[in-house]
Amino acid sequence: MGLNLLAVAAVGGAGAPAAILQSGVSNIVVNGLIISALYAVVAIGFTLIFGVGGVLNLAHGASITVGAFGAYYVARVFGMGAWAGLVAGVLVAAAFGAALYLAMIRRMEDEPIMVMILTLVTAVAVEQFVLTVEGSQPKAIPALVGGVTRVAGTNLQHNLVVVFAVSWAIILALFLFVNYTDAGKALIATSMSRKGAALVGIESDRVNLATWVIAGALAGLAGVFLGSFQTAHWAMGRAPLVLSFTIVVLGGVGSIKGSVVGAYLIGFLEVITTRVFDPRLQTLVPLVVLLLVLLVKPEGLFGRELAEA
Amino acid sequence: MATTDAAAPESAPDVLSTDDLRVTYGKVLALREIDLTVREGEVVSVIGPNGAGKTTLANTVSGFLDYEGSAEYRGREVADRSVSDLVSEGLIHCTEKRDLFGYMTVDDNLRLGAYRHGEDADERLEYVYDLFPALAERTEQNARTMSGGEQQMLAIGRALMGAPDLLVLDEPTLGLAPVILEDISDAIEEINDEGVTVLLFEQNVTFAMNHADRIYLLENGEVVREGSPGELRGDDYIRESYLGG
Ligand SMILES: Nc1ncnc2c1ncn2[C@@H]1O[C@H](COP(=O)(O)OP(=O)(O)OP(=O)(O)O)[C@@H](O)[C@H]1O
Ligand SMILES: [Mg+2]
Repeated sequence: MGLNLLAVAAVGGAGAPAAILQSGVSNIVVNGLIISALYAVVAIGFTLIFGVGGVLNLAHGASITVGAFGAYYVARVFGMGAWAGLVAGVLVAAAFGAALYLAMIRRMEDEPIMVMILTLVTAVAVEQFVLTVEGSQPKAIPALVGGVTRVAGTNLQHNLVVVFAVSWAIILALFLFVNYTDAGKALIATSMSRKGAALVGIESDRVNLATWVIAGALAGLAGVFLGSFQTAHWAMGRAPLVLSFTIVVLGGVGSIKGSVVGAYLIGFLEVITTRVFDPRLQTLVPLVVLLLVLLVKPEGLFGRELAEA
Repeated sequence: MATTDAAAPESAPDVLSTDDLRVTYGKVLALREIDLTVREGEVVSVIGPNGAGKTTLANTVSGFLDYEGSAEYRGREVADRSVSDLVSEGLIHCTEKRDLFGYMTVDDNLRLGAYRHGEDADERLEYVYDLFPALAERTEQNARTMSGGEQQMLAIGRALMGAPDLLVLDEPTLGLAPVILEDISDAIEEINDEGVTVLLFEQNVTFAMNHADRIYLLENGEVVREGSPGELRGDDYIRESYLGG
């Protein structure tokens, strides 16, 4: 999809309408690249929990909110700065993930419906808590870095460059962790066969806890990023949750590669829809894609092949 | 107690022993009053028809099910330890369903078998590939695309990677052609010769008799006969019901 856009840009040539077209296209490409990386970070956590534990964490969006408000408090309310806020957001959301697992999920790992209900209730509770304490007014988390550069006719915030770089660093780190470390392989093994993992001496409790902590930390990071180039508000976790669903359905369960591919498909589709058609369609895009994929190809676009990643 | 062969004298220490072991699924009693002993170096086989409780017993002694009564591995209660601790202590279970990592290669499956015994993994890998040359020919093949016989070899191979003291094998012959049965058969002999104690759950009575030092016959969750293969071959009931007259 990205390639097609670049092809259009190249054909565009030098005329005045073409220049506008080109800047529009590069705007789409740049934004698509960045937003998709962030979506991948969100979706990877969701898919790890689903792949390893076999449960859907409907509080994944709540972790995003928790991370964003953790960062908001440390950075703004306590005035400790953007980077301290980032660290705090990640830690608080990771702790939130750990608490969810230890307090509730561990007891009902074999009851996926119960887990859905519990995490949904948790998500609503977090939203209501934030709404009650902070009100419905959106909060701004300070940008990690300031400044703007003009790239290919479009304004590029340095903050977004940081988001892109950190997101990709984390995606690559996770990929290496999962594929090349014993702990990572234990995680993938658990996702393929829980009994098999137990037979070789892997402690599924610890693996599950690790996935909830990792997923929480990733969601927290995404929350801080979203809050820093958009805003933090009580319902900010909803759209990313739907997005995670869609990306996982697209990319296959428990697959990092699949999540990245799915995130980029959705990310670009969303950016194109909002820039070319109507911004109000943004949250509708992943929902429509989710429905279409579920109806037409419920096993996902890639089946399970990608799950080795 | 039944006679045993020279490889496993009566004096050999117990690796596994159960005393009045009982297991229930909900209200259904699946195992009752099981007194089973496996001594160091032995091959002990538990035989019985479908639904007799073999898999239940296998899962119980390897730490996967709650039980009443007693089941001791190396003198300590199984229930006092986690499955991963038991694996560390050399109690390795090769299940009826095999439970392989389907989307991983043969090599990765085997290496994960050594999850608790990382040090000599390379040596053990070589040993397993020697034991099952069919696996050595397809190290990069995904487990789920392999034939039933190959998967069984992989499951046993993965168990061996865990450096077993006691290898629990649940119906390794299930659904296998006679040729592959031979391979599995040879492998069990060789594994036992290396000093590994084997607890073999089998429906294939002939296969079990060929390997076992002692046999327990399980029916409806109860041990109804026990003895050496020779003793059981001479038993009228066993001859009529299990050896075709
Ligand atoms: N999880 C379970 N819940 C309820 N009943 C069970 C469960 N697992 C096994 N059973 C029952 O316990 C009995 C023993 O089953 P088990 O699988 O141990 O038999 P088996 O000897 O291994 O049989 P097979 O030779 O067919 O593998 C059967 O009646 C079975 O239906
Ligand atoms: Mg069975």
